[in-house]
Amino acid sequence: MGNPNKIENEVAALREENKKRKIRTIVRGIISILTFLIFWQLLCTFGIVNDKVLASPIQVINAIFTKIVDPRPDGNILIVNILASFKLAMIGFFLALIAGLPLGLLMGWYRPVDKLLRPIFEMIRPLPPIAWIPIVIVLLGIGTVAKSFIIFFTTFVPIVINSYTGIRETNQVYINYAKTCGYSNWKIFCTVGIPSAMPLAFAGMVIALGNGWGTLIAAEMLASSSGLGYMILMGRNYGRIDTIIAGMLVIGLIGLGLTTTLRKVENRVLKWRLK
Amino acid sequence: MNAMMKNSRVYKILLNILPVISILLFASLWQLASKNGGIIPTPLDVYRRAGRLLVKPVNNISLTGHIWASMKRVLLGLLAGCVVGIPFGLLIGWNQKCCDYLKPLFELVRPIPALAWIPLMTLWFGIGETSKTALIFTGTVMPVVINTYTGVRLIPQINIDVASVFGATEFQTIKEVVIPCSLSAIMAGVKTAMGTAWIIVLAAEMISANSGLGFMIIRGSDVADLPLVIFAMIIIGVIGAVLSWILTFAERKLCPWKVEIN
Repeated sequence: MGNPNKIENEVAALREENKKRKIRTIVRGIISILTFLIFWQLLCTFGIVNDKVLASPIQVINAIFTKIVDPRPDGNILIVNILASFKLAMIGFFLALIAGLPLGLLMGWYRPVDKLLRPIFEMIRPLPPIAWIPIVIVLLGIGTVAKSFIIFFTTFVPIVINSYTGIRETNQVYINYAKTCGYSNWKIFCTVGIPSAMPLAFAGMVIALGNGWGTLIAAEMLASSSGLGYMILMGRNYGRIDTIIAGMLVIGLIGLGLTTTLRKVENRVLKWRLK
Repeated sequence: MNAMMKNSRVYKILLNILPVISILLFASLWQLASKNGGIIPTPLDVYRRAGRLLVKPVNNISLTGHIWASMKRVLLGLLAGCVVGIPFGLLIGWNQKCCDYLKPLFELVRPIPALAWIPLMTLWFGIGETSKTALIFTGTVMPVVINTYTGVRLIPQINIDVASVFGATEFQTIKEVVIPCSLSAIMAGVKTAMGTAWIIVLAAEMISANSGLGFMIIRGSDVADLPLVIFAMIIIGVIGAVLSWILTFAERKLCPWKVEIN
């Protein structure tokens, strides 16, 4: 064994090294983003790119702030558009969660349920959600329900697949242990199967929410009178490049916020999980 | 008792009948839906419409022409996404300096959904093929880069150490260790990208195009020709399934060491 003092020094040196590396990464990131923004700004100020084709970062930030109070060009202020999109995404997501999570879990656990429902699920699965739009419009119109249904189709598939795979990968040892203790199949499903499926199921929810948010934009472009997708499409129709880029940024930020929140919830709910 | 029930012949036969019941259930549900409202066409209507499609093609382009139009866009965009995405992912996965400088920029663009690029792309490249390919490129490059990057980062340090012990140059290490080790992750990324590409191509064709399966759907929707819409949906589903099957097959050929979960 080495000198304890020496080991302590080495550990301290390693810590120092790690800290330095972290700081270096952050500094480099800031340099890179600043360079990018300045380059973009210069391209616009010196007129190297036409201002009909690209708005400068300052114009974009300006557009975000004016959009908070100014309803032009699409007729809604920013918060109305955000709430409209957010509401749709949430309705679609929770519908898919309520239907998809139990379905995936039951299909993964009970063979007969799997045999009965898998064929139908496999038929629906390869269809891109956007392909449903005409059918949904015919059946449900272009209102809130219709658009939530398109989000539903997008989010439903990854939720089912992940909860299905999750419960399928339950450790057989745990199941056998529960059986030895005399648990009924249903009780094993509830106490062993569902908890061990949860990490993958949550990963599915994160994917689903991200996909759903992305598809929502398309749904709003095809038929809508408010929402962020509608906003950027109107920006396109009126040739307002600053509104388009501002809208894209807001969409990206909210999408990021949604998935980060869900990850936080995951960490809270699955506290028991081994890292 | 439970185990006995599970092994009995009746139970096994029942299990094998269930998928058939499932298909029948689906068909009867469809039939019921079309009977009640009168809006949804019956399976037979769709079949007849498909027959008519052979005689009188949509927009004077045959069905294979439409399929090929969509397929060409998907493959071109996917190819561009792989050609750019795989080297970029390898670069930021392998080189810490490049990662520090380039990853923040990538992370800046990454959360913007591919479909949100539609207005900007149509403004930049018009509504022709270029903007569609560019859109599919933006959608496919993200999963390819992320998976390649993660794949490289997950390579056990010992594999790289072995290469350096045997005196491999950096290029040799990348060629002999890094790429093979991350291949299955890259393939998974390409598979995800393929799915995304199909969604984007449909959206792009629905917004503006005069050929392709998305165009078929939107044309059917415009002239209230729902059998055409459903037929196009079926074709899209079948092609999507076939493509993902081909990619799974390619994955098995390219990285046979990957253990299948199941």
